[in-house]
Amino acid sequence: MKIRPLEGRRLLTIILVAAFAWSLFNVDWGSGLVNTGGLRAAGHIASSILRPDLSLDVLDKAIRASWTTVAYAVAGLTLALAIGFPLGVLGSGVLFRSSWLRRFNVAGTRLVLAFFRSIHELVWAWLFVVAFGLSPLAAVLALGIPYGGILGRIYSELLQDVPEAPLRALRSAGASEWRVFWFGRLPMALPDMLSYTFYRLECGIRSAAILSFVGLGGLGFQIRISLDDLAYGRVWTFLFFLIALVSLVDVWSSMVRRRITA
Amino acid sequence: MSLASLESSRTEAAQAVSLSGLSKAYGPIEALAPLSLTVAAGETVAILGPSGSGKTTLLLLLSGQLGPSSGAVTLVGREIAQLSPGKELAQLVGMIHQQFDLVPNISALHNVLAGRLGEWGLFKSLVSLVWPQDRPMGMEALARVGVADRAELRAGRLSGGEQQRVAIARLLLQDPAIVLADEPVASLDQARAGEVIRLLVRIARDSGKTLISSMHSVELARAHFDRLIGLRNGIVQFDLPSSQVADDMLLALYDIKGLRRED
Ligand SMILES: Nc1ncnc2c1ncn2[C@@H]1O[C@H](COP(=O)(O)OP(=O)(O)O)[C@@H](O)[C@H]1O
Ligand SMILES: [Mg+2]
Repeated sequence: MKIRPLEGRRLLTIILVAAFAWSLFNVDWGSGLVNTGGLRAAGHIASSILRPDLSLDVLDKAIRASWTTVAYAVAGLTLALAIGFPLGVLGSGVLFRSSWLRRFNVAGTRLVLAFFRSIHELVWAWLFVVAFGLSPLAAVLALGIPYGGILGRIYSELLQDVPEAPLRALRSAGASEWRVFWFGRLPMALPDMLSYTFYRLECGIRSAAILSFVGLGGLGFQIRISLDDLAYGRVWTFLFFLIALVSLVDVWSSMVRRRITA
Repeated sequence: MSLASLESSRTEAAQAVSLSGLSKAYGPIEALAPLSLTVAAGETVAILGPSGSGKTTLLLLLSGQLGPSSGAVTLVGREIAQLSPGKELAQLVGMIHQQFDLVPNISALHNVLAGRLGEWGLFKSLVSLVWPQDRPMGMEALARVGVADRAELRAGRLSGGEQQRVAIARLLLQDPAIVLADEPVASLDQARAGEVIRLLVRIARDSGKTLISSMHSVELARAHFDRLIGLRNGIVQFDLPSSQVADDMLLALYDIKGLRRED
């Protein structure tokens, strides 16, 4: 029997819905998921949201930890840019006119990018901690590599997706593909590339906080210590700092974006 | 270097454009029937005709952006098929479009200077991203099209008329012998359209360039161009000095009856 496209799509939908339903039945709803003893702790945590610990000592710790977290995130993102921008440009294939060279190059670059990003930053962190010990280098590499893979992938798509007409005009003025790239493609893709990069910086701050659970210092590390001490007020102080950092990046990002969009 | 020195550095052969048996078919549609004509250097030619009559096709063939189904295009004595795309072609022919085709989020000045990209080395091009090179030349061109005060604004912020002026200024820096324009003012209001066409024709005449433009406005074409070519269903209906084109010829040109369907 030949499957026509419409039937094929319907079949795929049915399979996906079935897989979803089946997965629901496979979650053990009874015992593990809802821990009734945990409800009390959750109540404690929730109620201390109004009583964050604002003592000077804790604030000092929070500021230092925020600084560490931001430093990891920024360093990680810098590495991610160094990986993602060149690979994104290569992976977009826009510099090649010859079609088979382009296809070969795009496929190769995309494979590398996929490898970088299909491994989660926590897994990279484990690997690098094994290799380099608990060092800032491990944290920066753990963030930079998967983020580089993600940035490269998104950049390559944004660079391909710009309007063709202005590029054609540059070519007909005698510009080579490289020049077309710098004077047309990149400027047109830049606002979206920047706003995605800022979004990734936000994610990077959250990831850097998580990575510090592994023992690399920073906000996550402080949160874990406070949780161990059952000092929920302190937990909230650190969480508020995390929220503030992410919001700051958000504001900064929209300011920059407003400046460069036409 | 000044604009004036650019323009004097290229001398035109007497014959700017020569078409012999040029035609184009898209599959079964003959967009342009075999066509032979010549355009003298410095002439200003308007191409008229209803939508779908083959005006854009003809201009794309002239610019080398489209290959013909048969025949050849010769620009200033050189057959277009023999020219390498890029710099060589850009010195002979430049084109402006209805939608201006500027890069919206770089400045008007940068857009104009992009007309020099064919001339610049890669290093100079990259430096120019930060410190615009040949700036006096770009400013002179912007002044000439009357938008010098807009130089630092992003092109996307400019009005339609201003954008088309910037596109013309970019062409001034590219400095091709032949200027093509595809309905350059179709998206502007009437007053603006008149101003921009006057500017385009004046600049072409002042610098001795050959101008070939498709036009949707018969009035503007008659008022400003030396010569009118009427296209209908890909076939030339008339090719005359503007003053000799009679009203009934134009009526017949745009008659809905017998027009091929456009899809
Ligand atoms: N890329 C294309 N593929 C197929 N048909 C086309 C293409 N471009 C134009 N045509 C057809 O060729 C004919 C001439 O089109 P065009 O040159 O755009 O006319 P005009 O610019 O006068 O409106 C029309 O019938 C149009 O539908
Ligand atoms: Mg057209």
